[in-house]
Amino acid sequence: MIEFYYFHLMPWPHLPDDFDRQHPSSWVTFSNRHYDPQRGHDLYNEYLDEMELAEKLGFDGLGVNEHHQNAYGTMPSPNLMAAALVRRTSRAKIAILGNAIPLRDHPLRVAEEVAMLDVMSGGRIISGFVRGIGCEYISLGINPTYSRERFYEAHDLILRAWTEPGPFSFEGRHYQVRYANIWPRPLQQPHPPIWLPSQGSTETIRWGAQRRYPFVSVFTSYAQTKRLIEEYKDAAEAAGYQAPAQQIGFAVPTYVAETDAQARAEAKPHMLWLYRRGLKIPPNFLLPPGYITEDSLRKFLAAGLRTPSDLSFEELEAGGYVLVGSTKTVVDRLKEIEKDLGLGLFIGGGRIGDMPKDKALKNMELFAREVIPHFRDPAPTANKQGSGAVKRKRVD
Amino acid sequence: MPHRSEMLSIAGVQTHVLRGGRGAPLLVLPPEFAANRWFPYHDALAARFQVFAPDHLGFGNSERPDWLEGIDDQVLHYVDLLDTLGLERVAVMGLSLGGWIAAELAVAYPQRVERLVLVGAAGLKVDGVPRFDVFTHPIEETLQTLFHDQDRWVQLVSTDLGPEVILRAYHESATLARLTWNPYMYNPELERRLRRVKAPTLVVWGDDDRFLPLPHGEAYARSIPGARLQVIAQCGHFPPFEQTDAFLRCVTEFLLADSDGAEHP
Repeated sequence: MIEFYYFHLMPWPHLPDDFDRQHPSSWVTFSNRHYDPQRGHDLYNEYLDEMELAEKLGFDGLGVNEHHQNAYGTMPSPNLMAAALVRRTSRAKIAILGNAIPLRDHPLRVAEEVAMLDVMSGGRIISGFVRGIGCEYISLGINPTYSRERFYEAHDLILRAWTEPGPFSFEGRHYQVRYANIWPRPLQQPHPPIWLPSQGSTETIRWGAQRRYPFVSVFTSYAQTKRLIEEYKDAAEAAGYQAPAQQIGFAVPTYVAETDAQARAEAKPHMLWLYRRGLKIPPNFLLPPGYITEDSLRKFLAAGLRTPSDLSFEELEAGGYVLVGSTKTVVDRLKEIEKDLGLGLFIGGGRIGDMPKDKALKNMELFAREVIPHFRDPAPTANKQGSGAVKRKRVD
Repeated sequence: MPHRSEMLSIAGVQTHVLRGGRGAPLLVLPPEFAANRWFPYHDALAARFQVFAPDHLGFGNSERPDWLEGIDDQVLHYVDLLDTLGLERVAVMGLSLGGWIAAELAVAYPQRVERLVLVGAAGLKVDGVPRFDVFTHPIEETLQTLFHDQDRWVQLVSTDLGPEVILRAYHESATLARLTWNPYMYNPELERRLRRVKAPTLVVWGDDDRFLPLPHGEAYARSIPGARLQVIAQCGHFPPFEQTDAFLRCVTEFLLADSDGAEHP
């Protein structure tokens, strides 16, 4: 039994012809004069249409995420996109993967917005928390050396705001508020599920496992995913429990077609767009000072500083950075992964990089029809909704 | 001139100091690059002065305590260092980041500073004058920006960019970011406080400083009572490396001048 999430980055696919030669990155310094709001209007609506369709096709959840000032993902506020989806969907969970809480100057704003979404949606919100990537500390002027401290402290404040009757006083190193008392409170009890989408430092993984926050390995190699999830399971065990499948997530760009050869041919340019253009990030943007620990940098250097941007499509496929194949191949592979990782949450997606709409729709329809049913509980229970979830009341 | 390396415990914080020479004490506060190095200009100064060249907290071999947050922490640490060394009053020279710390020290503790030399000192923002962003450029570009004669940057750093060098650079860059990611390389309060500086002050600047352009030097000279600005020709951000002789001439002359002399009434 795997829950399937349709994940969107909402990329800006219209890069200039000279992008590869003339632009060192699609982040930080890549000028927003390359963004055309008219085309953006069409794109946002297409993207949202796809997500609404994903619910109809049978995906369990819809995933949105936060990125700033780049062409990789034009969703600086995932909560806005979640709000757009809340009123146009009625069953699917809406997974915010996630709010980059250290980038916000006020965590209570996140606590409030997610609580609003949870109440509006009748308890369908999953609240991922992330640190944001290195580039975003540059783009938003946030000191990267405080990233971890702010992450943990913002989390603590949000969690208290969701669960503790207000007003209460919070006096941290980074955030101080003497009358924390958010209105509305979230609908789900004790609070909306918190997920941890991450590429994972040991410290963060342990922290998440101790709190039973589902861990989602994001856009990295299968070997690394496996290593991170093993670490997470070990940390769960050290905390006195076995991590269930519902806590193990894997996010990977996925494409299915009628045959393996067709899937590869159709997916290749867009997967390469994703890693080579969307994630074209020089080291000085990727790792601003203090963003990662010196231990993590040491490991990164020992691995030769290679990033997925340096890999060919064949290497991306072999390394498990992408999942591409016929529906049968992908079902078989997912069964292996389910067993190998103890996987319960799969975060795939349709519209990858500069993929045209028709391919994206074919991919998601095929995936929903031919892949998802293989991972369904043979005897589904009547109500799968989370605690506190209520049916939406319609007044139309 | 022989020099030695000492590890001092300053209020419980391990602090590395290079020292050498004889004469009046001179505290030389290094830039944000090339900590823990004794350069020819140190040597030349040590012929006339007792030179103390510490590594800032979080740079070189000095410890980075968890509480380190701002320039004021570095300033208070140097006051503790002076106390530990038994130095009531010293001449202070600072380069770039070290210049900023020296200026803040002279503002907060004017009675401890005998003379002040600011060399390409960070710490001020001049509207409309860009400062090079050290955090977002590769090291090669940074080094090229630092020098008028771009081929000579190899003087400053090892060209071996192996893992240990990168890790060390990342550590120091994180310290610098902790101190001054935002606001970037300046203290908005400093300019108006510079009136508090009592020491005779020499501001030394390269005429072709593309890292921290000359108007910043002019702002220091304008804001510190009685300060004099010495512009060094054909020179980038680091006069002691790039125009060693001209630099030493003006600095030595300034430091040895009679304090009752006409220059500083």
